[in-house]
Amino acid sequence: MRAERRSGSLMAAPYAAFLAVFALYPILFALVLVFLKWDLVTTPVFAGFDNVRVLANDGRFWRAVENTFVFLSIHLPLQIASALALALALNRPLMFRSFWRAAFFLPVVISGAVVAILWSNLYATDVGLINGLLVRVGLNPVPWLTDPSTAMPAIAAMVTWKNVGFYVIIYLAGLQYIPRSCKEAIEIEGATTWQRFRYLTLPMLLPQTILVVTLSTINGFQLFIEPYVMTGGGPLRRTYSIVLYLYTNAFAYQKMGYAATIGVALALIIGTVVLIQRRVIGKAEAL
Amino acid sequence: MKTLRRIALYTGLTIAALTFIYPFLWMASATFKPLSEVGTIALFPSHATLDNYRTMWARAPFGRALLNSMFVAGTITISVLVFGSITAYSMARLRFRGRPVLNAATMGVLLVPGQLTLIPMYTLIVQFGWVDTYAALIVPYLFNATAILMMRQFFLQIPQSLIDSARMDGMGEMRILFTIFWPLSRPVLSIVAIFTFMGSWNEVLWPLLVVREQHLMTLPQLLTVFSLGGGAGSIGVSLASAMVLVVPVVIAYAILQRNFIESMASSGVKG
Amino acid sequence: MPSVHFDHVSKRFGATTVVEDFSLDVEDGELLVLVGGSGSGKTTILRMLAGLEEVTEGTIRIDDRDVTALPPRDRDVAMVFQDYGLYPHMTVRENLSLGLRLRKVARTEIDRRVAWAADMLRLEPLLDRKPKQLSGGQQQRVAMGRAMVREPLVFLFDEPLSNLDAGLRAQMRIEIGGLQRRLMTTTVYVTHDQVEAMTLGDRIVVLADGRIQQIGKPIELYRSPVNRFVAGFVGTPPMNFVDGNVAQKNGSISFTSDGIDFPFLSERRASDVPSGSVTLGIRPEDMTVDVLDAQSDGPTRGLQGRVVLVERLGGTSHIHFDAGPHRLLAAVSNDRLPEVGDAISVRLHSERIHLFVGDRRISSVI
Repeated sequence: MRAERRSGSLMAAPYAAFLAVFALYPILFALVLVFLKWDLVTTPVFAGFDNVRVLANDGRFWRAVENTFVFLSIHLPLQIASALALALALNRPLMFRSFWRAAFFLPVVISGAVVAILWSNLYATDVGLINGLLVRVGLNPVPWLTDPSTAMPAIAAMVTWKNVGFYVIIYLAGLQYIPRSCKEAIEIEGATTWQRFRYLTLPMLLPQTILVVTLSTINGFQLFIEPYVMTGGGPLRRTYSIVLYLYTNAFAYQKMGYAATIGVALALIIGTVVLIQRRVIGKAEAL
Repeated sequence: MKTLRRIALYTGLTIAALTFIYPFLWMASATFKPLSEVGTIALFPSHATLDNYRTMWARAPFGRALLNSMFVAGTITISVLVFGSITAYSMARLRFRGRPVLNAATMGVLLVPGQLTLIPMYTLIVQFGWVDTYAALIVPYLFNATAILMMRQFFLQIPQSLIDSARMDGMGEMRILFTIFWPLSRPVLSIVAIFTFMGSWNEVLWPLLVVREQHLMTLPQLLTVFSLGGGAGSIGVSLASAMVLVVPVVIAYAILQRNFIESMASSGVKG
Repeated sequence: MPSVHFDHVSKRFGATTVVEDFSLDVEDGELLVLVGGSGSGKTTILRMLAGLEEVTEGTIRIDDRDVTALPPRDRDVAMVFQDYGLYPHMTVRENLSLGLRLRKVARTEIDRRVAWAADMLRLEPLLDRKPKQLSGGQQQRVAMGRAMVREPLVFLFDEPLSNLDAGLRAQMRIEIGGLQRRLMTTTVYVTHDQVEAMTLGDRIVVLADGRIQQIGKPIELYRSPVNRFVAGFVGTPPMNFVDGNVAQKNGSISFTSDGIDFPFLSERRASDVPSGSVTLGIRPEDMTVDVLDAQSDGPTRGLQGRVVLVERLGGTSHIHFDAGPHRLLAAVSNDRLPEVGDAISVRLHSERIHLFVGDRRISSVI
């Protein structure tokens, strides 16, 4: 209908304009900024591939990338294992099921800033709750956030704790999709609990696992508020994250071109890592 | 054997639940503790005090930040629902030129990580002269591609005959959207409302970039700046300021936890 | 003056033509049925009349007013949808009155009309329920009520019975027919079900591939279908078709197919009949079946066949039989039915035989 086309265009026009200004333009301008030096005050200067060249040799950037991989190597397995374990526990006939679910999910709805402030106190070397517990059972206190070897693992554990409820929900949805006939069939085959998990549940949950890996990887690359609040990137820059570095370049050093270059590099890294992960998991499935 | 298993299961669940809940309880109790007691594990302070709250309230404009957060998150949520549903309706149910392009662009936007556009967005805000304005906090969030796609998906399932009937009854498209589609779309609207509000309520990075004036800061930003800048001075004060951010969310969560879980899980947005 | 007038209306979606050069007058107070299979264009025609679909070419007039470019609300038509289109979040009363409220009809008048429709359709006890709490038949009546309260110039029905089970469908068919005759409102009714079309329609328009095949009263379509499509579409079980040749000998005519002679019961006027390759059509109910006893011999006047299947339906029975290479169907109400494998002699009622040359029926035969 003519009237339909007219109302359609009218109703979609504000969003189309918004997309152009706040999505398409920034994406294109990010690619332009890569070739500029700009402090937002003076006029931008064309810099060719300078930003890219500097980035390639920027020890701080690569340290941040390395830190992220350290983070992911702890966070991913921990996240999958904990989410899966809790989801399996919840997927039984239970009393107060919605209470358990709500309890696990609670940290998900709390602001990351609050969680970071809370955990800096829980992790505090002298007055922290965790070391208090350790001392009570006769162990030595650990300088969680001030020791270069424990700081990133401590943050990874905290992020796992914060997000696990979210992934429990995803796994629970997957568990509900496993047909009853499959469960009964494998039971009749005489499988043990472990075999049932290994040959039925785990493979059937593959789509959920891919989702968990993808989302927590993207999340890990976007790590910001936790190191910003808890460690400032230290000790010895061991918790410095890519976004923190990007933010520092933009906000503290006013290097817009360089910050944008970091952003583009980050997007490329995320894309590559997620693609490789999917390949690897896909291969694992074929085995 | 079976009872033993059940006991083990419930013990495990209780320990797990405590790990998630206890830190928040400890945090709440710590805000009522005098400085000397903060480090203890005990949940109930021996000398309860409101000093931490008084200090926090006196040193930084948390009341103002609370209002800022509510205003920003509220405006964004209403806009995402009202304007987002108008867009979603046109994309789902009206044929017009450019619709396929708009659909594809919306999907594409979701694939681009926010960090890529962060700096260009920031320079844009600077060029608009929006630094230290509500516009900087609100305008870039007036539409949300995830929300539009979710609403569009829901709208696609509403039978065509309802639209036809409404047109025969003499309604225009806007009227059809708000009097027929909205009442039928309560599930998706509440999901979108919750994840939009929560996303905005908890956002830190963007405000840190575009707002420097204390009286314009939202809660999580003021909290971060306050705790990091040493304004808090003590754990108790810093945690007390965090409580301003947490308490409204926990109350809402306690009432609407099912909706919360559904909405966060279906959007993939985390606070 | 016709109530609804289609003037050379076409509808195209891109390159595909859905309705081609459709012209039709619907008389005042008439119940006109558009019938055809899926893709015949019947629903598109109705939706164009309602204003829900744009007309590519041609004009539509309602009560001598050109409505081609008007939106639905300005056309003074009301429609009953296949899935009813009731607003799920509103009560029956609100569903009935919404269209009037939006048209700013006075409160008292709305109440009067709702009460009137509720009374006619026995909806009073349901007025405060939501559509979900109603049965399919009740929802159907609410949808009709919603159309009635509008007191429109034209009622439009879009396959209103296809979501109901068979028993209810027959009952609602009678109700709709009765209602329409009482209200005397011009009605255009779309269906794919030819039984519905035959029982309801004052006139029927048979459509195929977006074109009108035939317009006529039900009995005309049944007796004098203009082409093979209409002949096969109207009537259950469908007409038998046999391709063959007509020959004239000594003033009498005969029809042969694959060496089998189809004798006619009565002599025909030879001048009316074409010669050469034709298709013979005969309805199952226009045949008489005689069982041949084993001992009877000698030539019979009927068509020789062998029974392959007997469907006993109680009143009438369907006898599937082979005559040479042809599988034919006869509908009979004999008490004595043949068994499978029996040899039978079938007589075709020659005044009911249809002859088709190409696709067209040679109407002068009867």
